[in-house]
Amino acid sequence: MVSIRPARVEDLMGMQACNLQNLPENYTLKYYLYHALTWPQLSYVAEEDGKIVGYILAKMEEDVAEGDEPHGHVTSISVLRSYRRLGLAKRLMIQSQEAMATVYKASYVSLHVRKSNRAALGLYRDTLGFTVKDIEKGYYADGEDAYAMRLSLKHLAR
Amino acid sequence: MPPAGIPPARALPSKESALFKEVLHYYEDRQLKKGLKAADTILKKFPNHGETLCMKGLILTHMGRREEGLELVKQGVRLDLTSHICWHVFGLIQKGQKNYEEALKSYTQALRFDKDNMNILRDAAHLQTQLRHYDALVETRHTLLRLRPQLRQNWIALAVAYTLSGNLIEAKHVLEQFERIVKNVPDYDVEMSEVLLYHVRILEDLGEHAEALALLDSSAKSRTIIDRVAIMEFRARLLSKLKSPEAQQAWQGLIEQNPDCYGYYNGILANRGIDLDAITDETRGEALQVLHDFSQQFSRAAAPLRIALTVAVGDEFKALIESYLRSRLEKGIPSVFTDLKALYRDAAKRETIESIAHALLDSLAHASDAPCPRSIDPATYVWTLYFLAQHHSHLGRHKRALELLDTALAHTPTLPELYLFRGRVLKRVGDPYGAARWVDQARLLDLQDRFLNTRCGKYRLRAGLIDEAVEVFGLFTKKDAASPAQDLEDMQSLLYLTEEADAQLRLGNYAMALKKYVGIAKIFDDFEDDQFDFHGYSVRKFTINIYLNMLKWEDTLRSHPAYVHAAIAASRILVRVHDDPTVTTKPASQSHLSDAEKKAKKKAKKAEKKVQEDSKKGASANSTNEDKGLDAGPPKDDDPDGTKLLQAPEPLERAAKLLKPLSSLTKDNLEAWFAIYDVAVRRKKYLQALQALNHAHRLDPDSPELHIRVVDFKRRWSSLSDKPAESVVDVVSSCLPKLIPDEVSLELFNSQYLQRHSSRGAAILAAAKVSRALDAPREEVEATVFNTLNADVELDLETAVAIDAFLSEIQSPREDEFRTACQQKFELSSVFAPREEVPALRRSALQQGIVDGNESKKEEMIS
Repeated sequence: MVSIRPARVEDLMGMQACNLQNLPENYTLKYYLYHALTWPQLSYVAEEDGKIVGYILAKMEEDVAEGDEPHGHVTSISVLRSYRRLGLAKRLMIQSQEAMATVYKASYVSLHVRKSNRAALGLYRDTLGFTVKDIEKGYYADGEDAYAMRLSLKHLAR
Repeated sequence: MPPAGIPPARALPSKESALFKEVLHYYEDRQLKKGLKAADTILKKFPNHGETLCMKGLILTHMGRREEGLELVKQGVRLDLTSHICWHVFGLIQKGQKNYEEALKSYTQALRFDKDNMNILRDAAHLQTQLRHYDALVETRHTLLRLRPQLRQNWIALAVAYTLSGNLIEAKHVLEQFERIVKNVPDYDVEMSEVLLYHVRILEDLGEHAEALALLDSSAKSRTIIDRVAIMEFRARLLSKLKSPEAQQAWQGLIEQNPDCYGYYNGILANRGIDLDAITDETRGEALQVLHDFSQQFSRAAAPLRIALTVAVGDEFKALIESYLRSRLEKGIPSVFTDLKALYRDAAKRETIESIAHALLDSLAHASDAPCPRSIDPATYVWTLYFLAQHHSHLGRHKRALELLDTALAHTPTLPELYLFRGRVLKRVGDPYGAARWVDQARLLDLQDRFLNTRCGKYRLRAGLIDEAVEVFGLFTKKDAASPAQDLEDMQSLLYLTEEADAQLRLGNYAMALKKYVGIAKIFDDFEDDQFDFHGYSVRKFTINIYLNMLKWEDTLRSHPAYVHAAIAASRILVRVHDDPTVTTKPASQSHLSDAEKKAKKKAKKAEKKVQEDSKKGASANSTNEDKGLDAGPPKDDDPDGTKLLQAPEPLERAAKLLKPLSSLTKDNLEAWFAIYDVAVRRKKYLQALQALNHAHRLDPDSPELHIRVVDFKRRWSSLSDKPAESVVDVVSSCLPKLIPDEVSLELFNSQYLQRHSSRGAAILAAAKVSRALDAPREEVEATVFNTLNADVELDLETAVAIDAFLSEIQSPREDEFRTACQQKFELSSVFAPREEVPALRRSALQQGIVDGNESKKEEMIS
């Protein structure tokens, strides 16, 4: 029974554990606390029997350039391998985006993805409608390039 | 008492006085070099000027010269005990060392001499929150509000202080007043929205549901609360509590917004009087109808269908599960078993699932040497086999599970899930080497996947292949870290630390094990520290509801299973050190390694040490003028082997400190009470020890571990040479007979226990341990233990391993005999293999390529 719901403080350790298992980009718990206590509406979890099997850790971009509109940013999103094919990533992303648009009036949401990560690229581009804005060379700690992707949220404006 | 005038030692002539002001400005701007110079100029003429000494000490600390800085600050304070500056600086330093208790004392002193200093007051408030001194916090926040009522945060902070101190009514009044007087709130302001949601929550917590709802609705209408999900969740909950007819619609709206949230279905059904955890024949029909309607409305959502499976019974269940299971196996969803696992508590449902899955399998089965018939989807076939393997293994039918997996693997040798699960089954039957090998095969199928990598590392640790595990983890850790282990510890990987600690412990490497367990405890200390910055931050951001939730979470932080496990395991090691100090000098176990492996290990250790030293060098070569802040920073690792930690004095006190949170946070944890007992009784705290036994007795009066300790307590108590206090004697004399009757001898008590539980392996072991403690001859103890091999005795793998360890401990010549018997009883296990075979088993765990017909196919895939 996987349930999708807003992330709570007691979920953060589970999100951190999920992240450590799945991705090489990791963060200390304080960074998760910072997200949750600054933008409590934006992070969501997929939970089964108290265990976090997937999450989206999101924020609003803090350094907004002059004239630029407010926009959301996905810091990290991941689902345990054993829980794939359920559309969890998509559902997590959609819930987060709704909140970005409604609460913070975000015009668009951005994220970074490894050039070689075909599965993620497929999810963001084909399933969710993100487009590639830029290539950021050497973005990742191991030197790999990132696609900076973007999705407009104007359709969610109320 | 405020000083009558400035004491002569503090006053400075105009030139130095101006210089001092500059020192303060330079510090504020973090122009450390200039500040230092100015301070030194003053000190040349006035070497005993306390305030300047303190400022210099503060600046030095920022520059990284912490010991020097601290000394100067202490000196400065001593020279000017009534200076608020001196105490404030001292408090800042102590806060940076995370010494919050002392820091608050310093701040309190500072406030005596400058009671309206906003900076000091604010810092004091943060410390009071951290230390949970909520009543004092209310006072401080009152003062801050009085001093600056125009600052919105000060209002909110006071409300928060009242809330924390339990005075919700006053909190409410503060917020009401705030909302009345606040001006110029921009449209669609997130901060105001959060304040109002906080107010609504207070009203809900006060039970004023109608008022809460009124505030919520009017704010939602005027768009002053803008968090749609929060509005809807509050609304649904409040309307339900008010038993309003609008509640249904409110829950409906939530489900429409997120049909994947189980809480919402619980809510809508509870609102109709249906408790999903206690379905009756009356409520079942209605629940299923509601769920059915939702599954039609939201065809993509799994939740209504899955909940229906919990609710339905009999033929209705059969129909629902058939389509549910079939569709998921056809889609190839790996998690369908874990999804349905909760239903297995119901035997009828379990059997229905089994027969349906097998029927499906039969319809898909085809000869393995012929190509797959067109009518059959090969993927569905493999996923069905996978499902059934998980099903049978869950029910203890591991051989069957392995057969099913092997069929699946022959059919589709490229599916990592099959290899992963085969490894898991081998783990369950006690073959950690085979398990590690199979999980490694899974990993090799997708080297980009960290999940598979993590599993492989974990399984290697379970097999005692520690260096090889770290090597595998190292494929995904940061390349510039001192070592993969260091990176994982820096990133707070509790999984890694726990598994390695357990592995080291199994190998008898107490020092390394203790080091890792203490590493876990340190991470929890860090988690506790993490909240500190938010005491100011969250008030500035106005995100109060989640801030309050965070404080609540922090209050029960150490109830987390990882902490509990680490604290208990560490305390066991420390108790052992107390009982037998020679373990601290025993070298780490190397007996399982071959000579070549030992050599390689030495080489790797040397290389790692060099990397560590190099990185340390790099760190200290930084410019000394950089602002390093006040935080003390992580200490250097001067104990890489953990031997210093193991040999440190007062092991029992350290153990007690680790266990302390458990006595209040994990009252239903048997293991915790045993650990607490073991430490307390050795510290001669007999009441605490007895209380632990009582707690354990309440949870499980027949517990084998309890039995051992009850006898232990009685023995120690009866043979006490120093008479304890009379009050203690009174309590023990009245309580102890409830656990063990006065008139019964210990031997008789033990044999009675053995008789009562003669078919439980763990109980027999406990009785044997007690016999030994009572000095029974070894042969007798051995005979008792060997009874566990009888057919009518329930003996599981874990207990068999524990018995083997016990026989080893008493240096029994019959240990090999026992191991051989266990090898027969637990056919598929490898943990009872003769010791000489272990190096070969370890090597086999690292061998790539499965040793069977698939070998050549596998190599093709990998290259």
